[in-house]
Amino acid sequence: MSKALLCPCEDVTSSEVEHAIEKGYCDVESVKRFTGFGTGMCQGKQCLTAVARLLEDKVQPKPKPSQLMAFTPRPPLFPTELSLWASASFDPAKAPGGGVPDAIGLTEHALKPEHPVPAKAKVVIIGGGILGLSLAWNLAQRGETDVVVLEKGYLCAGASGRNGGGVRMQWGTPTLIQLARRSIELMGRFARDLGVNVWFRQGGYLFLAKSDAVVAKLERAAALHNQHGVPTQILTPDAARDVVPHLTMTGVKAAAWNPLDAVVFPWPFLWGYAHAAQKLGVKVETFTKVVGFEQRDGKVTKVITDRGDIACETVVLAAGAWSPAVASLAGVALPNEPHRHEICSTEPLKPFLGPLVSVLDSGLYFSQSMRGEIVGGMGDPKEPAGMNLGSTQRFLTRYSQALTEQLPQAGRLKILRQWSGPYDVTPDNSPILGRTPGLPNLLQLSGFVGHGFMMAPAVAERMAAWMATGESDELFERFTLSRFAEGRLEREDMIIG
Amino acid sequence: MSQRLAPVTNPVTIEVDGESLTAEAGEPVAVAFVAAGRTTLSRSIKYHRPRGPFCLSGGCSQCLVRIDGVPNQFACQTPARSGMRVERQNAFPDASVDVLQATDFVFKKWFNHHEFLAGVPVVEKVMLQIARKLSGLGLLPEKPAPERPKPVIEAAGVVIVGGGAAGLAAARRLEERGVTFLLLEREPACGGRLLVGCDDGAPAIVVPKSAQVRTGATVVGVFADEGRRFLAVVQNERLHLIFPERLLLTNGGQPTLLTFPNNDLPGVFASRAVSRMIRKHRVLPGKRIAVVGEADEAKQLAKLITTSGGTPLAVGAEPVRVHGLRSVQAITVSAAGKTEKLDCDAVALCAPQSPAFELARAAGARVGWDARARLFAVEADAAGKAAAELWVAGELRGPMSAAAAAEQGLVAAEAIAAAVKGATP
Repeated sequence: MSKALLCPCEDVTSSEVEHAIEKGYCDVESVKRFTGFGTGMCQGKQCLTAVARLLEDKVQPKPKPSQLMAFTPRPPLFPTELSLWASASFDPAKAPGGGVPDAIGLTEHALKPEHPVPAKAKVVIIGGGILGLSLAWNLAQRGETDVVVLEKGYLCAGASGRNGGGVRMQWGTPTLIQLARRSIELMGRFARDLGVNVWFRQGGYLFLAKSDAVVAKLERAAALHNQHGVPTQILTPDAARDVVPHLTMTGVKAAAWNPLDAVVFPWPFLWGYAHAAQKLGVKVETFTKVVGFEQRDGKVTKVITDRGDIACETVVLAAGAWSPAVASLAGVALPNEPHRHEICSTEPLKPFLGPLVSVLDSGLYFSQSMRGEIVGGMGDPKEPAGMNLGSTQRFLTRYSQALTEQLPQAGRLKILRQWSGPYDVTPDNSPILGRTPGLPNLLQLSGFVGHGFMMAPAVAERMAAWMATGESDELFERFTLSRFAEGRLEREDMIIG
Repeated sequence: MSQRLAPVTNPVTIEVDGESLTAEAGEPVAVAFVAAGRTTLSRSIKYHRPRGPFCLSGGCSQCLVRIDGVPNQFACQTPARSGMRVERQNAFPDASVDVLQATDFVFKKWFNHHEFLAGVPVVEKVMLQIARKLSGLGLLPEKPAPERPKPVIEAAGVVIVGGGAAGLAAARRLEERGVTFLLLEREPACGGRLLVGCDDGAPAIVVPKSAQVRTGATVVGVFADEGRRFLAVVQNERLHLIFPERLLLTNGGQPTLLTFPNNDLPGVFASRAVSRMIRKHRVLPGKRIAVVGEADEAKQLAKLITTSGGTPLAVGAEPVRVHGLRSVQAITVSAAGKTEKLDCDAVALCAPQSPAFELARAAGARVGWDARARLFAVEADAAGKAAAELWVAGELRGPMSAAAAAEQGLVAAEAIAAAVKGATP
């Protein structure tokens, strides 16, 4: 009974924030993610000043005023019932617009470390999301520790910190099914391997289908799953209601159910991989931006950053939806396009919802996090391509209407916050991996179309083996950038939204 | 002990976990609890520490209760009605005695949820199951929401958000200049700190008569879905989407939490929560009230407490630690190099409000760290202009007296009036 509370909503004490500072999290956004402060019912109204004052007092060297930045406020300003958002209407024929801007990118300049980056490294990984960090850790595990990871923001700033944490084996192609199975296995033992809890909860995925075409897709996929050892079952609407008693089955024709699919808390994966890789000697440089490349004789020789150049042998581009912009600095055109996906979270509730539920027809998905919040989103078929992390009222309305149709009691729940993240969309919904035509030491690791988070542990494991041993792996032969020029597409159709 | 400073004139009975509680009709449920001497409204999410009302302005989470089958309602924002059913949340067996508070004693300083039992075979799985069971605050709502009417969609010239010192002054000036406007106030009445604070020399509350003033109207967001800025406003459980040409934000601040052991114990209030209870609800939250923190504000609050029959102590001292198991019993303070422990039954934290910058930032304003006040504040030019067609005034820009806030409201209103006139051929 002697705690000094900084965030009474989430029970975050001053000792906990001091621990975060010791771990190197010295800005408001990073501390928010590491401790969870500011994510409760008041959304930071009560705690932000107290946390910023503690940072000003404890961080060494003392932060300048320009380095103390408030976190991006997430709408709504006060918890607001889904039923109210659902009462509005929207024009499904129109494309969604900009929305409330996200401050990602504003923080880079002031928080950029003053010391230069290492002058050379064997491998430079661009992008400190889950793909880059898991690759770094896997390389280090294999003895390759001369690795620098470059991240332009804070850890969790990109899509790895913005997704819903769903991990599933229910995919439409054998490759993704196998990768996902391996990832789920690795996630299940993440705490053992890396010493950090990721709140892995195998509550299953329940896909609902409302049209014959989607039923056929689920049936096709389920047959494939069974061939590959995934116990997906096709359920009648009544049987699906037994899985989640609160759901209405209006319009539902069938469901697909795999009890082995899971939900995780995304943020700790990044710290887990980053801390473990750093322990082995990997350098993780946050708030550091790549501004160009030096090339000679058909190879990348240096990565140029806003903190100096790094001479290197191999460069891995793992910047998610930001990859095309980075690749263009090397004169490489990637076909990926960023697509905004909006998402939101309600107040925390006592556990009542086991699986992640998704209506494949509309792109609605929702699950209950380990903290009790209903976290969910819904793709917008009219969303135009482009980097846009704005939040819209249109999304809240579409999502609230769709969610309350499936779970009527949710109408009285309140949205606490909404945000968005970019899907990294490729023309065939499959990733871009392996060597770049014309620049063989620039390796691609992007294009995961919203499921990079769940594929990362397995893909990184194979990529590290491929890089370290030089043994061929079909993953890095089939999913190359050259396939688009060659017209060899790898179509995946089990994409939510 | 708390006491009512005026007899209950229109009593209603509300049900709290099956027991009856008398309240003044329409007063916030949280105030009825305080008046009845019941300090614990819920238990905190991880450590099951007792929680009671703190800010009384919907800006913290310490008074969340289940009301009529709907979880996580702000007791401070919900008026007491006859027959209302209130349940305290997240406690076993109940909020007064909660065995799960054992976690608070086991984890003395904090609980490292990242590493606790991480990777320990078998134990880890059990831990996950227990963590899942203990997570969350309320239970799923009993029923679906009632059918909501379609939103009102409207255009407006100038919209003022916040009817406190700055907003009311701006409204009066716009009225004088013949500029039409809409003023949105979250509380049931305008006034803000003029109504619930204790500023010496604060201007009187003058609400423009001819104007469109809407009270009980909460702005929950500013959006720009199709490039055009609009406010999402909730009033009488109905959504309004208001498209303003010009926006003046005067929505003030939130109480600032001071950091010391047991700063979350029931009986610790924000200073404006104490003055609000005394002035607006005629409830004195304690007999001996420690009035700690910023000296000027503490002196003013102490005066109000004294005239209401209470005893202020440790006025303007620095809080070191609060003592008590379920509610405040004593406080250790430091003043003039001396530390002493004093018995008290309530604590008022006096500190400049933290600007409620969220709306301004979403509308395009810049927010910076005010190194002197050690707060985040909205940045603006001398006239209060913060972004395109966006002005701010009052405590949103940093700590200031009510009189200074009103002055800023006048200046911003002049600038807006000039912009309106300039735009009208």
